[in-house]
Amino acid sequence: MTVLILTCEQDVTADLVVARLNRSGVPVVRVDPADLPGGVALSGEYVHGAFRGHLSAGGRLVSMSGLRSIWLRRPGTPASRAAEPSGWLTEESSQALYGMLRATGARWMNDPDAARRARHKPWQLRHAQQIGLPVPATLITTFPQAAREFAERFPDLVVKPVSGTHPQEPPRTVPTSRIAPGTDFAAVAFGPTLLQRRIAKTADIRLTAVGDRLLAARKEVHPDAHPDEVDVRYTASDAPWRPVDVPARTAAAVRAYLRDAGLAYGAFDFAEDTDGIWWFLECNQSGQFGFVEMDTDQPIAQTVADWLTHREPERQTHREDRLRATP
Amino acid sequence: MRLFVLNYARTTEQLEFSAPYTYDSGLQLNVLPDGRIAAHDLALMRELGATTSTAGSKTHFDD
Repeated sequence: MTVLILTCEQDVTADLVVARLNRSGVPVVRVDPADLPGGVALSGEYVHGAFRGHLSAGGRLVSMSGLRSIWLRRPGTPASRAAEPSGWLTEESSQALYGMLRATGARWMNDPDAARRARHKPWQLRHAQQIGLPVPATLITTFPQAAREFAERFPDLVVKPVSGTHPQEPPRTVPTSRIAPGTDFAAVAFGPTLLQRRIAKTADIRLTAVGDRLLAARKEVHPDAHPDEVDVRYTASDAPWRPVDVPARTAAAVRAYLRDAGLAYGAFDFAEDTDGIWWFLECNQSGQFGFVEMDTDQPIAQTVADWLTHREPERQTHREDRLRATP
Repeated sequence: MRLFVLNYARTTEQLEFSAPYTYDSGLQLNVLPDGRIAAHDLALMRELGATTSTAGSKTHFDD
């Protein structure tokens, strides 16, 4: 039985997992949907009440019935590297590939439908609230007056993109940024704006959840750090990530988050405050883990490889129950 | 008409990122010129991660 990894060639983090699967002797096929059609080819036959599908890439051919798991890591857009790319060809290729793979019965990290929903930060915030994680007061609005009133109630705010992505043309980055007192919110009317109470944090927490296993790391904020330094990705801190235990209540909530979201993997970001409370910021359903593993030596890649290799009967049952319960 | 959040945007440095490794479709891994697996070169990964975390997401180190 083969592990199928859907990702781009440049994904060196996936390499960490491929290398471990190779070491274990587990067959792997790595496919970038961007190369379909072209370097990637597929065929599926529906005859006499049965389905038989095949996928090939890099000289490897795999039967879709022989897939044990599928890791939806960082796949390219289907057909984006085709000889004559088009939006229509992308849709055709996407439907053919993901439609067949959805029908294989292989388990996913993460299920594409669950992943799509889980990428929405507004959904994440509500989901986190519902399973009991502390969420900083947040407003997403296009009403300038609502923003003004929110700033009166919570005077120390940060702003961040709703989608978590960065604008292109021209390329820019939008770090989570602190809002100065007296800021004019009129421009909120021009696009959805996410405002959030700033957590005076003592550390950033990255909790990587793989199946039921939780691997958390903590990066301390220097006591003299400027309060405007909000976004750990863009601060000059050279403090390393260090392993940290997960509080029992947080662990239970994180597992509930994943279970109810239908996710097998999630990289959670928390801000730890002076009382030691972990405030939920977001859950990246395909979040990076290489930088944490390098600092902490936590076996995240091995844990991903193990999950892709081995079935977890109990978890699978939970998911099937959830799907049956969905109207 | 400038979106509120874009008041906090920073210009992305257009770094010409040339990875010192290439994808080997036979191994299904990125390898260095000497044949080693690139991902196992921690010093290199740190260097590239530090570069891309502020430059965008070319190797997705920013999420």
